[in-house]
Amino acid sequence: MDFRSRHVLSIADFTRAEILHILSKTREIETSPRIDMLAGKVMATLFFEPSTRTRLSFEAAMQKLGGRVIGFSDAGSTSTKKGESLADTLRMVEQYADVIVMRHPRDGAARLASEVSRVPIVNGGDGANQHPSQTFLDLYTIAKLFPELTDGSRTLTIAFAGDLRYGRTVHSLLSALCHFRVRLLTVAPRGLEMPQQYLDEAAAAKVEVEVVPSLQDAIDGCDVLYMTRLQEERFPDPLEFDHIKASYRISASMLQAARPQMRILHPLPRVNEIARDVDATTHAHYFAQAGNGIPVRQALIGLILGAL
Amino acid sequence: MAETPSGAQKIRQVEAIANGTVIDHIPSPMTLKVATLLAGPDDQVFMGMNLRSSLLGRKGVVKISGRELTERSVSSLALIAPTASISIIRDYTVVSKNPVPVPSRFEDIARCANPNCVTNHERWSTRFDVVAGKNPLRVRCFYCERSFDAADLTLI
Ligand SMILES: [Zn+2]
Repeated sequence: MDFRSRHVLSIADFTRAEILHILSKTREIETSPRIDMLAGKVMATLFFEPSTRTRLSFEAAMQKLGGRVIGFSDAGSTSTKKGESLADTLRMVEQYADVIVMRHPRDGAARLASEVSRVPIVNGGDGANQHPSQTFLDLYTIAKLFPELTDGSRTLTIAFAGDLRYGRTVHSLLSALCHFRVRLLTVAPRGLEMPQQYLDEAAAAKVEVEVVPSLQDAIDGCDVLYMTRLQEERFPDPLEFDHIKASYRISASMLQAARPQMRILHPLPRVNEIARDVDATTHAHYFAQAGNGIPVRQALIGLILGAL
Repeated sequence: MAETPSGAQKIRQVEAIANGTVIDHIPSPMTLKVATLLAGPDDQVFMGMNLRSSLLGRKGVVKISGRELTERSVSSLALIAPTASISIIRDYTVVSKNPVPVPSRFEDIARCANPNCVTNHERWSTRFDVVAGKNPLRVRCFYCERSFDAADLTLI
């Protein structure tokens, strides 16, 4: 399987076999990193909107393999402010870099970039659309916890909770999970349910999706609980937000009946949706999940630069 | 000979044209849009709306005198009225009648309805891929990956 010079734009561009290959290369690089694997290579990080978390993870991934990083971390410091088109910015940067990691506020910006750039583009988030390295790290995390995901020996039950309408990470993860033997549970406030487009996608892949009445039902019935943040700006009425916030909060006391192997994931940053007393339980796995971002991004960059 | 064949009556729901193009089986609410889209400033256009149709319930018909459609017009028509048929008329006779060909991809025909789509902010072409058709025709923006009913898109 040759990933050289391939763009990483959307999880939808990857087949099941390709996803499995990336997961297995991630495992390889995590267990035996080669610290000079990307020596002499330059990665440009073009962050047209700030995302410290994503940028640091990509930069650490590159530097730990001997590569170098150039770039900017907010659009205010670039010529975009002077009206330069995205295409022109890319035509300039591609002269300096072997791979470009880009984050942009507009949906589809990474796809457009891939039509201009001669060097591979890695989408670090394009508006509300895609953030594929996050999806690969979510999948890698689940696969590491539950080998059943990739060997198919058991149907895994994965629950999504919180804002399922606007949450880009849950949409991409749902699409990716459709390649595997899973059953999905969803629980979301009224108006923030999973969009039909994704339910249709699950149905087409013969993945069962069950809407459960409460967060507690999700906790008690799943192997993996994928929790997301509720954003206040989605609620016109602040009182309603306070009320809903209270029913979308996991505390340690709610985990009594959870399966022993159940793990809670979260794309971070969390606000109030996971109480601090959950952190010390065996179910908390969100910080380990974030740590998996490094080997996943190393594998993606290594593959597209032909070093893996 | 007072009798009129029922077929002839049907045709005369809208003024007959000697030469030109008849677009039939347009979803009725799209008729005006189709007429505006296809008519050049000097074209004579005849239009019927809310005509009875066994296929669509109600339909629209647009007749353009004197010319045939450009390739681009046919693509635009396919996007907003995928159920339509196109007949070529010569000397009051239908010389050909075909369903509008619906391509699998529309390039630079319509703007994306997602206000945050990059194609609405950079000077760049648009592209939609057909995901389901024809009634209603569903298309997906190649860039922002959102799906839309084609009838809701704004033509360029
Ligand atoms: Zn779009």
